[in-house]
Amino acid sequence: MRISCLFFLVIVCRYISSQNISVSGKVFDKKNGEVLVGATVYSKARPSQAVFTNNYGLFSINLPVGSHTLVIQYIGYAKKEIPVEVTKQIHLNIEMTEEGGTTLNEVEVVGEKNDENVTQNRMSTVKLEMHEVKKIPAFLGEVDILKTIQLLPGVKNAGDGNTGFYVRGGGPDQNLILLDDAPVYNASHLMGFFSVFNGDAIKNVNLIKGGMPAEYGGRLASVLDITTKDGNNRYWEAEGGIGVIASRITVQGPLKKEKSSIILSGRRTYVDVIAKPWLEKTDFKGTSYFFYDMNLKWNYILNEKNKIYLSGYYGKDVFQFNSVEDFIDTRIPWGNATLSARWNHIFNSKLFSNLTFAFSDYNFKFEAFQDDFEGKFFSGIRDFGLKYDLYIYPNSRHNIRAGIHHYYHIFTPTNVSAKQGETVFDLGKVVKLYSHESSVYISDDWTLRSNLKLNLGFRYNHFFHVGPFTRYLKNFQGKITDTLNYRSGRVVSGYPGPEPRASMTYIVSPSLSFKASYTRNYQFIHLATLSSVSLPTDVWMPCTEVIKPQIGNQYAAGIFKNFKDNLFETSVEVYYKDMKNQIEYKEGAEPSDNVYDNPDNAFTFGKGWAYGAEFFIRKSKGKLTGWIGYTLSWTLRQFDEINYGLVFPAKYDRRHDASLVLTYEPLPFWNFGIVWVYATGNRGTLPNGFFLFEGSMSNDYGLRNSYQFVPYHRMDISATFSFSKHKEWKKSKIISADIEITTASPENKRKLNHSLTLSVFNVYNRYNPYFIYFSRQGDLLKGDFKVVAKQVTLFPILPSLTWNFKF
Amino acid sequence: MRIWSIILILLMSAGCRKEVKVKLPEYKSKLIIEAWIEPGEPAQALISTSAPYFGGFDYSNPTAIFVKGAFVTVSDGTTTDTLKEVIPNQGFYYKGDNLTGQIGKQYVLTVRHGGKEYTAHTSIRNKVPLDSLFFKWEFDSLGFIWQHFKEPAGLGNYYRWQSKRLNVKYGDQFFAGPIFSVFDDKFIDGKEFNFSYDRGPQPYNVQAWRDDPNRNLYRVGDTVAVKFSHIGQDEYEFWYTYYQNKVSNTNPFSAPVNIKSMFGNNQEVIGCFVGYSYVLDTIIIKNKP
Repeated sequence: MRISCLFFLVIVCRYISSQNISVSGKVFDKKNGEVLVGATVYSKARPSQAVFTNNYGLFSINLPVGSHTLVIQYIGYAKKEIPVEVTKQIHLNIEMTEEGGTTLNEVEVVGEKNDENVTQNRMSTVKLEMHEVKKIPAFLGEVDILKTIQLLPGVKNAGDGNTGFYVRGGGPDQNLILLDDAPVYNASHLMGFFSVFNGDAIKNVNLIKGGMPAEYGGRLASVLDITTKDGNNRYWEAEGGIGVIASRITVQGPLKKEKSSIILSGRRTYVDVIAKPWLEKTDFKGTSYFFYDMNLKWNYILNEKNKIYLSGYYGKDVFQFNSVEDFIDTRIPWGNATLSARWNHIFNSKLFSNLTFAFSDYNFKFEAFQDDFEGKFFSGIRDFGLKYDLYIYPNSRHNIRAGIHHYYHIFTPTNVSAKQGETVFDLGKVVKLYSHESSVYISDDWTLRSNLKLNLGFRYNHFFHVGPFTRYLKNFQGKITDTLNYRSGRVVSGYPGPEPRASMTYIVSPSLSFKASYTRNYQFIHLATLSSVSLPTDVWMPCTEVIKPQIGNQYAAGIFKNFKDNLFETSVEVYYKDMKNQIEYKEGAEPSDNVYDNPDNAFTFGKGWAYGAEFFIRKSKGKLTGWIGYTLSWTLRQFDEINYGLVFPAKYDRRHDASLVLTYEPLPFWNFGIVWVYATGNRGTLPNGFFLFEGSMSNDYGLRNSYQFVPYHRMDISATFSFSKHKEWKKSKIISADIEITTASPENKRKLNHSLTLSVFNVYNRYNPYFIYFSRQGDLLKGDFKVVAKQVTLFPILPSLTWNFKF
Repeated sequence: MRIWSIILILLMSAGCRKEVKVKLPEYKSKLIIEAWIEPGEPAQALISTSAPYFGGFDYSNPTAIFVKGAFVTVSDGTTTDTLKEVIPNQGFYYKGDNLTGQIGKQYVLTVRHGGKEYTAHTSIRNKVPLDSLFFKWEFDSLGFIWQHFKEPAGLGNYYRWQSKRLNVKYGDQFFAGPIFSVFDDKFIDGKEFNFSYDRGPQPYNVQAWRDDPNRNLYRVGDTVAVKFSHIGQDEYEFWYTYYQNKVSNTNPFSAPVNIKSMFGNNQEVIGCFVGYSYVLDTIIIKNKP
C-alpha cells in the first residue's frame, strides 16, 4: 500500500507542475446523439500523444498554448479535423458522421486507417462495434455477441448449443460480464443456444483477455464490457426483426430533445406457439419452451457537466415438461434481472467522475409434480453494488483512474423442498450466504517517452462472508454432532486480495510495437457445475471458511505490427497463466446434498495452468473486411480428489483453434458474410470398459477427460440485401454520381429501411459431436453382443431467413 | 438430475445421430466382486472381471469374464469359512459352508486372486419392518407397489428395497433392485410416509424382461415378494454410487461417477460385500375394484 501512496504522490506532483492547457470534449454520433467510445483524438502536430474517448464519449487532451488542429477518428465514421486556438481550458462537442452516410455513392472508404492497435497501451483487448457484428452470419438469424467473441483468438466456444466461453484456459465463471456496469451471472437462454444480449440494444463490446486494468476485478480470466445504446435524443425511431425462432423490436427517441432519451428493446421466441398444436395430441401435451427479454435505458443530460442514466434488463426462460407416460409435470423457470444507475459528473476538463449503483439478480427454479408428490428446488444470486470512479487527466503523459467499489452478494445455493400429500419432508432451512466484497484501485496510464508507455495499477480487495450462518459440525462418519451459529452481520471468514497490475508498450515505429503485461486477479465467487456444459442448474458459491478465493497470475507478451498503411493489423501474443483454488463438485455430489449440510462441503479444490500463443490478422477497411485468428494452447487441471490426483486436461484443452471471418460489401445494398471455424475436439470421459453386476451391465469410466472428440469445424454464410439502400443507390445513379446527397434529415429518416438476411449455419453439413453414447445390442451371454458408439450432433445445416426493419 | 435426462432424450431424438468409431485409451481390466451375507445363510460371492468395450474382448466367449480359482474367505472374527465354487468348471459363483449370518455380527470377506488380496467389511444390522403393502393402479391392469413405512427415530439408517415376482409363468429369477433402490433417513428420520419403486430389472439375459414394454410396472395377477433390508452406510454408498454411475451412462449433463468400491482401490477392484437384514412381505395384485 505504501508504494502505491508514494506513486500517487508522484503523480499529483507532476499534475501540479503541469504547464499545458487541457482541451476536453465529448464525441458523439451526429445522427442520434449516441456517444462514441474509444474514438481517437490528437493534435495533428503531435500524433503520438493521442487520447481516446472513455466509456461516456469524453476525452481530455493537454496541449501547449497556440493553434492546433484537432483530429478525431472513429472506425466506420468520417475523420474530422477541427482547428482550435488553445489559450484557456475549452470543452468541445464533436459530432461525427458515419462513412457512406454523406454520400450515397459506392462505399469507398475515405477515413484514414488507424494505428490504435499498435500505439495504444492495451494488449489482449478487442473492441467490437455492433454494426460490425451484425454483418457476420448469425445462428438462426439471431445476432449474438457472445457467439461473435468466440471467433476471436484466445476465446473458445464450448461447442454447439453453448454460449459459455473460455478465455485463455479459464472457466466460463471466470469471465466478468458487465451489462452497463451491472454483472450478469448467466448470460444464456435456452440451455446456452442464445445469449441474453439482444443485438439491437447493444452499442459496443469490449473484451479484455489479459492485462486487465485495475478498474476491473473480481474475475480471473476476462472482462466482457457491454454498453447498451443511449437512445436517440434527436428523433424517434424503431427497428426490429422477424426471424425463424424469435422476433424483436426496439423503440428509441427523445423525451426532451437533446436532453433526455429513452430506448426500449424486447424479444421473444415463439417455438412454443408453433409446437403447441402438435404436442396437443401427444403424451407430451403441455410441454413448452420460451424465453423473452427486455432492455430499457433512460438518459438524462442535466447540463454540460452532469448526466444520469438508468439501465435495466429483465429476461426469463421457461421450460415446461409434461409427460403423461411418466406422470410427470415439471416447470423450470430461470432468468436474470439487472439494473444500473449512473451519475456522470465533470468537475473540470481534467477530472471526471462516475457514481454507479448496480443490481443483479439471477435465479433458477425447478418444480416437479408427480401424483401427490411435489418437489421444488431453487438457487440464485443477488448483488447490490456501489461504485465511485474518478478519471484524472493531469497532463498528456498521465491518465489516472482511481475508485472504490463495494458489492453485497446474497447467494442462494440449491435449496430443496418436498412434500407428499400432507407430509412435508424435512429438508432443512433455506440456506443463504451473505458476503461483502470491497475494492479500491488506482492506475496510471503513463507515457514515459513518446515511444514507451506504462500502465501501473494496484487493486486491493477484501472479501467478507458474514452471518446469519450456521455451520454444521460433523464427525468422521458424516453425522452432525453440533452446529455453530453466527448472528446477522457477524464476520464468519474474510480474505484479502492484493492485485498488482502492470503493462507496457514499446513503440518501435508507428506500425510496430512490443507489449507485455502482468496481472494478478482474485475471484471470490465460484461457479460449480455438475455437468460438462453450462446449464442454468450451475450454482454460484461465495468464498467461505472452506472455499478459498481463486487466485490467478497471468503473464503475456506480444508483437503488434500493421501493414500497408494500417490496412492490415496483425498481432502475435503469448501467455502463461496459473490458477489456484479451482473448484469442482466432489465426484457423485448432487445439489440436494446441501440439506443439513453446508453446501461448501460438496466441493473439492485443485489448481490449473494454461499457456499458449495467439495469432491475429484483421482488415477493417475496404469492401472486404474480417479477420483470421489462430490459437495454440494447453490447459491443465489437477485436483487431489478427482482422477486419483492425476493431472488431467480441461474439457476445452484444445491444441488448435482457428477462425476465419470475412464480410464483403461489393455494393452498398449487398453484404455477404462467411465464417469458418476449426477446433481440436473437446475432451471427455467415456466408459472404456464394462462389467456385470446383479446380472446387468455397467460402465467403467476411463481417466478424467482421457477421450478426445473428433475436431470441430463448420462454415456459416450469410447474404443481406437492403431494399432501401438499393432504392437510394438506384436513385443516386440516375441523378449523377457526382452530386452529393446530404444525409437525410430526421423527417425523411422516418421512412422504412428494411433488409432481408439469408443465413446458412453449417453449410457443408458437418456432423460435429455434441456427445457420444454407447448403444449395446444383442445378448452378452448368448454371444451375439455388440457395442456401438453413437454420436449425437445438435445442428446439421440450418438455413434461416430474417427480415429486419428500421423506421 | 432427471430432467436433464429427459432433455437429453429429446435432444437425442431431435439431433442427428450416427454411428462412429471411437479410439479409447488402453484399458486395464478390474476385478469385480459382488458379495453378500444374510441371516441364516452362508456368504456368497460372484467374481468376474471387467472388459474393454472395444478390442481385447471376445464377445463370442463371454464367460471369459468369469473368475475361476479365486481364494475367497469370510470371517466373523472367530470362525473363518472358505467359499467354494458352486459350479466348479464355470467359476464366478462362490458360496460358503459352515459360517452363516447372524444379526448383530460383523464379517470380513477376503478375495485372493492374481497374486493380490482384497478385503471388505460388513455387518448384519437389526431388522426394520414395513408397515404394510398396497397396490395403486396407474392404468387398468398396471401399477406400482406402495409401502407404508414408519422410519425409526434416530439418524443413520440405510435401506435397500428389492422385489421378485413369484408367478408360475414369467416368475423372476431373483430379487431385483430398481435404479436407486437404496435410501437413507437423512430427510425422513422418524417420519411416517408412503413410498414406491419401479419394478427392478432382471438379469441381462432374460429376454422376456427386456421385451416387456411395461417392464417397470406390475401387472394384475402378479404375486410379488418385497424384500426390505436394513444395511450399513458403506454398503449404501456403494449402491448409491453404483446407481449414479448407471444413470450417468455417457450423459453429457452429468459428470462420470467413480463407484465407491468397498474393497478400496477402485483402479483395480470394484465390488461390495453387503450384510442384508431383511423382512419379506408378499402382495397379490388384484383387479381394479
